[in-house]
Amino acid sequence: MPRAARSNERLRTLTLAWAVAAAGALTALEPARGSAAEGGTPGDQVRAAEAPGPKASPARAPAQWLERMNRALTMRNYDGTFAHWHGGTVEMLRIIHRLQDGQVSERLVSLDGSGREFIRTGSSLACYLPDRRTVLVEQRPEQESLAGFPAVDSQAAGNYDIREIARMRLNRRDTHVISVAPRDEFRYGYRLWIDDSTAMPIKTQLCDIDGRVIEQLVFANLTMAAHIPDSAFHPEVSTEGFQWLRNDAAPPAAVPASAAVWNALQLPPGFRLMARGPQTLPGAPAPADHLVFSDGLASVSVFVEHGDPGAAEVTEVRSARVGSSSAFSTMSNGYKITAVGEVPPATVRFIATQVRAEQPATTTTTPAATRR
Amino acid sequence: MNEELDSQLSAMFDDELASAECELLARRLSRDGELKARWERYAVIAAAIRAERGVRLNARIARRVSVIVGSEPALAGHPAARRRELRWLRPAAGAAVAAGVAAVSILWLRAQVPLGGAVATTAAVSAVPSSRMTASRMTPPAAATTARAPRGSDSYVVPPAAHGAAALVPATELANYVVAHSMFSSPVARRNLLSSFITSEPAVPGTVTVSVDGIQDSPLDAKSSAQ
Repeated sequence: MPRAARSNERLRTLTLAWAVAAAGALTALEPARGSAAEGGTPGDQVRAAEAPGPKASPARAPAQWLERMNRALTMRNYDGTFAHWHGGTVEMLRIIHRLQDGQVSERLVSLDGSGREFIRTGSSLACYLPDRRTVLVEQRPEQESLAGFPAVDSQAAGNYDIREIARMRLNRRDTHVISVAPRDEFRYGYRLWIDDSTAMPIKTQLCDIDGRVIEQLVFANLTMAAHIPDSAFHPEVSTEGFQWLRNDAAPPAAVPASAAVWNALQLPPGFRLMARGPQTLPGAPAPADHLVFSDGLASVSVFVEHGDPGAAEVTEVRSARVGSSSAFSTMSNGYKITAVGEVPPATVRFIATQVRAEQPATTTTTPAATRR
Repeated sequence: MNEELDSQLSAMFDDELASAECELLARRLSRDGELKARWERYAVIAAAIRAERGVRLNARIARRVSVIVGSEPALAGHPAARRRELRWLRPAAGAAVAAGVAAVSILWLRAQVPLGGAVATTAAVSAVPSSRMTASRMTPPAAATTARAPRGSDSYVVPPAAHGAAALVPATELANYVVAHSMFSSPVARRNLLSSFITSEPAVPGTVTVSVDGIQDSPLDAKSSAQ
């Protein structure tokens, strides 16, 4: 058989094979009729075979779809498996999310990689790191679990071009493809395939300013469950012999890293101070000052801690990446200033190097009131 | 890619594309890299199902796929393909052999058309230089200027995690920051951030030491491993 013909035959065969495999997805993705966040019942479910055909949902502005999606991710019960695609590798993860009696429980676990798990039950956050034989446990005020994220308002609209670019079928689901394109290089953008029925993002792409995909999440199956048992939030990993780092104490009242009030002299366009307060980090000897800056969608945290006194003359700069998120740490006048956020490296670098004590921000926007 | 092609591809995966159109699309797949990449992404979904549910393919198709893959020397002998095969096949232990064969077929395509392949290559090259930044480039105005060159050495595109020095990945201390920050992220961003954290390989963050006057500049520093 000629090579080209053989190639075509092979592709067709593989396509057929995957068509069979993909068919499995259709029964796995169980749609829910109605929504808790929108007045439905979390447990309302229909089988895929019984799912209604394309229907005309109420016309919504693109920003409303983002709001609806945020509510679904925060308020609904769901259990799903998704592929996380980044940097040329794909890894499967499972996410379980429950809102029960006003308390959020969430578990995110790697199915085929490091075995790391992140479990949130109410005010407790536990991060299991088998590769480091370490468990980080952090306590957060309960109300913050449900604080959600600022509404997609004019602030976000000024920094992103938000529009619906298509409606398409994905996994036999009707989805709205919402593009959130950054207006400059200080932030990333998104393309979101939001399910018309549940408002869950079945597929998410993180893009740079040129629209290139740098990270992608695709749900392979997703169940909007009526009831998720407590046992679903137990870790799989055995923690025998692990080091536990905790900040079990109540959140620090008013013992910040310093008496100074920290702020940024300048901020990237569109960012503003959203919250600040003391933050006890597991294993850290003293609480840090925690500042949160946001542009309406992306956020950057800045942690100010006492550093090595001898480091005042030489500035040590460290940079790190967590997937598409960035971190940047520097020393300034004896304080270690670390910025972390789901933004490009230049943005965390910009903000970290602008943080000073007792200096007002010169950003064009007015800093918001402190959250706590 | 135009919407018609996208729609055809979607229909193909839904097994709703007529056989004649399927044939045409398959031909186009063989010469259109972007379309291949698209096809590959759809395949990830199927791979996910395989990992979760243990998909069993039609035996006749599986045999044909097995024969084809087995006769493909580029795949059988490609070290990268073997490595990825192991990575993929790990969670599929106990699943049908046919599903494993199908997974290999994905890898064969992945080896040829990585997601954003050209971009990833650029990023891999640029990652080390970006950690050797000069102090002058640390100032906000310069950061704003250099950031505008996405295709240059300062590309924002995230480097592949598998490349040693480029994999500036979390230490325990960084994990603290990530977890604390995650509570202030939007729901989607938080999920992305925590997923990235969970899937990142254990490695060592890079350190760049910059003197006050910004002249001294060193690359990755071993003392960072203390973190």
